[in-house]
Amino acid sequence: MIRRILSTSIALAAAAVLLSGCDKKEVSKTGGADSAKVGFIYVGPRTDYGYNYAMDQGRLAMEKDMGIKTVYFENIPENAEVERVMERMIGDGIKIIFATSYGYLDPALEVAAKHPDVIFMHGGGFKLAPNLGTFFADIDEVEYLSGMAAGACTKTGKLGFIAAHPIPQTLRNINAFTRGAQSMNPKVSMNVVWTGSWSDPTKEAEAANTLADQGIDVLTMHVDGPITIAQTAEKRGIMVCGYHADASQFAPKGWLTGAAWNWAPLMEKIVKSIQDSTWKSANLRGNIRDGYVKLASFGPAVPDPVKTEIDSVEKAFVAGTPLWIGPIAAQDGSVKAKAGDTLTRAQIESMDFLVKGVIGSVK
Amino acid sequence: MTILELLLGILLSGLRSATPLLQVLLGETITERAGVVNLGVEGQMLSGACAGFAVAAASGNPWAGLLAGVLAGMLLSSVHAFLVLVAGANMFASGVAVWLLGGGLSAFFGIPYVGRRIDGFASPDFGGAAKLPLLGPILRVATPSVLIALSTWVLCSLFLYRTRAGLRLRAVGESAESASTLGISPTKVRWAAILAGGALSGLGGASLSVDLVRNWVEWMTAGRGLVAVGLVIVARWNPWYALPAALLFGVVESLTLRLQALGVTISPYLLSTLPYLVCLGVLVWGSARARSKGGMPRDLAQVFSKTE
Repeated sequence: MIRRILSTSIALAAAAVLLSGCDKKEVSKTGGADSAKVGFIYVGPRTDYGYNYAMDQGRLAMEKDMGIKTVYFENIPENAEVERVMERMIGDGIKIIFATSYGYLDPALEVAAKHPDVIFMHGGGFKLAPNLGTFFADIDEVEYLSGMAAGACTKTGKLGFIAAHPIPQTLRNINAFTRGAQSMNPKVSMNVVWTGSWSDPTKEAEAANTLADQGIDVLTMHVDGPITIAQTAEKRGIMVCGYHADASQFAPKGWLTGAAWNWAPLMEKIVKSIQDSTWKSANLRGNIRDGYVKLASFGPAVPDPVKTEIDSVEKAFVAGTPLWIGPIAAQDGSVKAKAGDTLTRAQIESMDFLVKGVIGSVK
Repeated sequence: MTILELLLGILLSGLRSATPLLQVLLGETITERAGVVNLGVEGQMLSGACAGFAVAAASGNPWAGLLAGVLAGMLLSSVHAFLVLVAGANMFASGVAVWLLGGGLSAFFGIPYVGRRIDGFASPDFGGAAKLPLLGPILRVATPSVLIALSTWVLCSLFLYRTRAGLRLRAVGESAESASTLGISPTKVRWAAILAGGALSGLGGASLSVDLVRNWVEWMTAGRGLVAVGLVIVARWNPWYALPAALLFGVVESLTLRLQALGVTISPYLLSTLPYLVCLGVLVWGSARARSKGGMPRDLAQVFSKTE
């Protein structure tokens, strides 16, 4: 009996030891860790062509443009582990930490309180400390532009959106994309399939196949990584608009375009302000006007006149044309904004409906 | 679209969803029929998915990927076999350790392969046949991993019920003591059964990453290995029932996506619990009818009823 308990606990301890060393990986790109100045923490792998990849592109651009040395840790879970990683970075002499995942906010606040000489920037949060600020961007306008490409290129008039959970962020993206598509082809329908998980490639592939079976010929998504859906669309010979980052290489024929983050200008601005001591703790937000989000490259299936039209709408957004302007009707026909009215910031951030033309559930 | 085409579509997409589950389910059935439970299948599946994708990416050969998945699954299951059969560890604790180990190791070694492209199996050109109403969809779903899973199903069932080795394995699961009086070594048989389970769960994982999804993401199996452990009970430890049990889960899972695509507006939260609810329902219904342990190997039953 004792032998059993012993060997079992040895097994569990071995697993725990192996695991604790498993999820993190440090690479300091140039020089040793001590010469690095800016640290990045990602919740997943930085090569996912998704959220983490987009953040890492900002880091790489910063190294190139500003000659700054950086360190990154990837696959860091949103628990006490991230606090240890932050402490370790600070121990290595890092003075600026980009904590890029939503769940890092509270750990970052705790570590920030202990190290007032280190500046923390958190992605997406809305809490502040004297040495902690947040940054994020609205991607709605780019979703609209991406939807324009889908609406112009669809032959069946049926679009499909694969998303994880019905929350305001996904609903905003679905609605913006659909409105963009409707602006090119008022008759398009949009089918939403919820997978119930931010990362379940099996379901994403099955959802893409199912939508293709229903005659849908343009897919887009709001899940952690666009690769599975882009590849499945390509395999089924249909078109795809991406999310988070340019994943055109996974669908060379069917890629139309996509809504992508462009964190480099924002991250570089933040680090510059820290360098010349003008940094202030704030919730930094931006959008297409600031260039923090952008349209991914166009695929071969998008005709030139469509590109021109998308360009002109993009210019209008940059010039200040609002996206969420009425008439906006929900699925059941109820009026959400009358012609000429715009949704308020609070209404946009708590969006809980799908626009007319979308087939799918919001609850 | 005729009703027949609609039903066929549901069945075929269910088969696609069920394929990795079927492999794992068959493997776990063999392991449990020899009297050992292995909760580590989730980790074995992940290691198979990771190794399979890595080898397919490096070699460009999806067949080599599937083989690597089999080997990775076996390698990890040998940890479970060692802990349970040699070190005498509790099989549930050991299984959980193997599960976490497989998940952690695959996440770590898989990092360089995230975002890599593999080509998977080339879709054969069926010409005009691919456009035929009923045959076309069947040909599209019949990828190598689906066909391998179906053949494994027949082979495993024949092995267990029609061969001497299968008889010995079942004998060990029913009573290791009696089997050893007949000159069968229960330890050897259980080693083989655990390794076979490892091979099939690794193959199931590799089927996912190399063929069905063609992508590697850490923890990508999303609990399907544990679902397979549960489905063993639904299938009453009988490999012939493994296909209907896996199909049941696969069909309901793909149906939840298909219903949404067809425009049925049911809460997605409710829909995503449906596969589990349906399987639970079948389990309760089946147990009520059988009024017994429902085919559980007798030595295994002791693990659940007796405390040492």
